[in-house]
Amino acid sequence: MPLPPVFYHYFCTPLPYTRTLLLQEKIHQLQLAARRSSSHHDILLLLEHRPVYTSGRRQTEQELHAERARLTSIGAEFAVAARGGQLTYHGPGQLVGYPLLDLARTSPPIGIRDYICVMQKMIQSYLLLTHGITHVPSDHTGVFLDPVTKIASIGVQVRHRLTTHGFAINVTKEPLEWFGQVVACGLVDVKAGCIAEAKGKNTRVEDVVPGIVDAFGTLYGRDMVKLYPQNAGELGEAILALEEDALAAGEWLNAPSPN
Amino acid sequence: MFSAIGQAARARTMPLMAARTSPSIIMRVPGCRTIVTKKYTEEHEVVAFDDETGLGAVSITDHAQESLGDVVFVELPAVGSKVVKGDQIGAVESVKAASDIYAPISGIVTEVNEVLNSEPGLLNRSPEDKGWLCKIKLSAPEEMNELLTLESYKATWEA
Repeated sequence: MPLPPVFYHYFCTPLPYTRTLLLQEKIHQLQLAARRSSSHHDILLLLEHRPVYTSGRRQTEQELHAERARLTSIGAEFAVAARGGQLTYHGPGQLVGYPLLDLARTSPPIGIRDYICVMQKMIQSYLLLTHGITHVPSDHTGVFLDPVTKIASIGVQVRHRLTTHGFAINVTKEPLEWFGQVVACGLVDVKAGCIAEAKGKNTRVEDVVPGIVDAFGTLYGRDMVKLYPQNAGELGEAILALEEDALAAGEWLNAPSPN
Repeated sequence: MFSAIGQAARARTMPLMAARTSPSIIMRVPGCRTIVTKKYTEEHEVVAFDDETGLGAVSITDHAQESLGDVVFVELPAVGSKVVKGDQIGAVESVKAASDIYAPISGIVTEVNEVLNSEPGLLNRSPEDKGWLCKIKLSAPEEMNELLTLESYKATWEA
């Protein structure tokens, strides 16, 4: 029996991080409940965030305290996420993808390592086929242009085989200066790269979306169907509410504010 | 010979029985060692229940550690916390994926495997033995009956 399609939605306005966490949580709960009657949907959210630094589960509040103060003073939000991975940055100019999937749709279920592996391949394949950008293999999870330049990150949470969080790909140069303020992912010598720099050509996040949707469908073997939030019940309402909030939040900083 | 061993076993368990707050029926065959039952959950947790101590050692299965990849971090519950079957009691992080672990049975956490803090890879090398996560004092030993046998567990993921 073929797998149902993955419904995707692209948010046009950069979203506040914490509110988006709440949306992910809401969708996770909806999926958990609907799964009992096998009526749950797999979703792919594609978006940008307003400037925010996020840490994973490993760091303690003590360790984070000083960083939190420093980073909020340069104009970013700071949040702790229950995903794998360490400190990273999200902001305008970077495409963030949250696949909210049920790994147990197939029998046997998709293993976590395989799920992450396919995610990595999906990004690598997209970069090569659409932009002619080649990556170098690395022991670290994520996509590297060379041993010290990272263009995409991955950080995922799995609960009851339902996934949240996902991947982030730097498209324009805007995120790079923000990345420069921290040691991201615990990798000291590594700096951030982006599609625009790698290609030597300006690229917009919205132009990257269709290719990523295609690559996702191909690599995960799923049909991708555009979600229409107006017709998508509780899930759709939650998406529309977040978009409204994002618009109401107004402008964001383009660069870290000098101290 | 038999009766001597039986008596020694009883002598050992007497103080424990006195300390137990909830009565539990233990069938003890003279001469037999402690009975340890291993049961599984669909979420890849294992409980090795020692009916003499009433403690269940919780770990993840070998299949789980294989499908996770290299474990880099383990989140464990606090000693003394009361858990209900199905509660999130910790997480395992590997290759950028944090996977929650759930309590297979209800009870109180009596011990956690501190070695995992410095050696998370133990979960890959010895998932069901040295890489045990925590020990729970079962509040309802009959919950063990609701869990899966090894065969039923394997059937959930074998193609």
